[in-house]
Amino acid sequence: MSTNPRDTGRREGAFEREPARRVFAAELRECRYQFRDGEDEKSPTFVLLPTGERCNRIFLVGTLTEKQRQGDQNIFYRGRVVDPSGTFFVMAGSYQPEAMQQIAKIDTPAFVAVIGKPNLYQTPDGAFLVSVRVESITVVDKETRDLWVLDTAARTLNRVETMATGTSPDRVKAKEQYPSIDVAVFRKTAYDALAQIKI
Amino acid sequence: MDFSEAAKRISRKFSEKGTEIDPTKIESKLRRLVNEFGVQPSEAERSVTNELAKEFNLPAAGMGGSGKSSSAAEPKKIADVAPGEWVTIEGKIVALSSPASPAIAQSGIIADDSGGIRFVAWAKSNAPAMITGSWYKIESAVVDEFKGIASLKIHSGTSVKESEADGALIPGTVPIINLRTGVGSVRAKVIQEWDSTHERMLQSGLVGDETGTIKFVIWKEAGKEKLAVGSVYNIFYALVDEFNGRLSLNLNTATIMQDDGDIAVSGGDVAVRGAIVHMAPGSGIIKRCPVEGCNRALSRQNYCPVHEIQPKFFYDLRIKGWLDDGEKTQNILLQREVVESLTGITLDAAKEIAENNPLGMDEVFLRMRDAVLGRYIICHGREIDNRILVNTSERLKYDSREHTALLNRAGGAS
Repeated sequence: MSTNPRDTGRREGAFEREPARRVFAAELRECRYQFRDGEDEKSPTFVLLPTGERCNRIFLVGTLTEKQRQGDQNIFYRGRVVDPSGTFFVMAGSYQPEAMQQIAKIDTPAFVAVIGKPNLYQTPDGAFLVSVRVESITVVDKETRDLWVLDTAARTLNRVETMATGTSPDRVKAKEQYPSIDVAVFRKTAYDALAQIKI
Repeated sequence: MDFSEAAKRISRKFSEKGTEIDPTKIESKLRRLVNEFGVQPSEAERSVTNELAKEFNLPAAGMGGSGKSSSAAEPKKIADVAPGEWVTIEGKIVALSSPASPAIAQSGIIADDSGGIRFVAWAKSNAPAMITGSWYKIESAVVDEFKGIASLKIHSGTSVKESEADGALIPGTVPIINLRTGVGSVRAKVIQEWDSTHERMLQSGLVGDETGTIKFVIWKEAGKEKLAVGSVYNIFYALVDEFNGRLSLNLNTATIMQDDGDIAVSGGDVAVRGAIVHMAPGSGIIKRCPVEGCNRALSRQNYCPVHEIQPKFFYDLRIKGWLDDGEKTQNILLQREVVESLTGITLDAAKEIAENNPLGMDEVFLRMRDAVLGRYIICHGREIDNRILVNTSERLKYDSREHTALLNRAGGAS
């Protein structure tokens, strides 16, 4: 019997949905390496986290502090979603009509849950920017935000700890790509984020 | 590949049969196949062996060069045979199926007290026609493997004799979780019957026992009957197939006996937690076909794929979606009660919206999406075909102990 999870997908075919990773804004901001898994035009692209995990999709909960409608013919929305560690830049364009309608209805500030795909851009002056293309954005309550902080802190600590000993290709690659980053800083990120929730 | 080792192995095999072959000659044949033609070493060894056997007019002498051919004359238990072996077995024909090709004289299942195996008797073998229920001693048959399933091949070098063995054979059943491809016997309860997806299909569905569940199928054939949902059966010698990594039972070869007992089927009960990251189309309020036993979801135009237009549909609620814990995404299906408790929208309230709101059913979808998407929940249910059918579900609650534990973990050891 095949043990490859990619061969044991749903009956319709070997499709496996990419999980939505949990990552704090402070870590996502440090990403500098994006790659495509496979040669196909439709192969998924991944952003490599400094803690050695690839992500094609992320799930984040934070406060939508700003939103802005831009463009004349190709309307799109930009927004800033703030978590305890920093800011996520999110956008929804005409290829995400549902997400655009959702974001249009939300009044800032509000706690929002965002599912989306991270993309790495380089600005003309050479700076890097990670922006999240929104698949879906909904208004949630503070409890969901707190649950997300716990969840994300736990996942981040897991990654930091396996980074020390892990030898998976993604962890090795992360060490190559981010030689100047000491992943211990993300342990502190997690601690500071947790400390912002009042006990 | 160590050519001289393999060559010696082959030459030894032939010298056992009284034919001496120069190992250097064998070695050069092997070298040529492997180095020039890129043949796999094991395949090269096999093909050289067969080529030489033909040259010296011997029956093809074994596959794989594992040196097991010397044991081919001693009877083996069916459960012990492995692909690539030449074997002699003694067993009872427990099923015959219609041959798939004119090259095949007979195919079916032969079993002894250790288990069963599929067999194929080639038309060219001139083997006597075997009868279901009789015992035979089959000498020098070859076991090979097709799609991972062992099968016994009766060819022209095989001798088939009716044997004196006892006619009674009580096969042992195995827990469903231990089934492997080939032939298997289970005692199981029919827990679901599915819509037929093919006109040749008599019935398909799910059977289960205390250890798990497995899909079954019965193809239309004279004398085949449907199984009753809720009944327990002893199923002897079903074909266990694999497709996309999932096993299924083909019951056409099986001997099936109803059993009076009952089984507490393990539904593969699971509990999963995570955030809802997607709500798929077809969620919300839906219309279902009212025809007895159909229950299919209708299209917007009240069209059932089987029973066509059904204006007297009834409404139902469901959510199809993905639950994600950051490592793995699970396909979930929430039934009406779960949807009601999670969204706070009852079926009646949803009906009211669907019939009076300008957006109709879409409005129900949107309200439910806003109520569940991005929320952390825990789901209890059964996993069927990689999808979790959720029986109960609740919102996760913030737990200050978890918070404290994480603070300690993040603060310590840094």
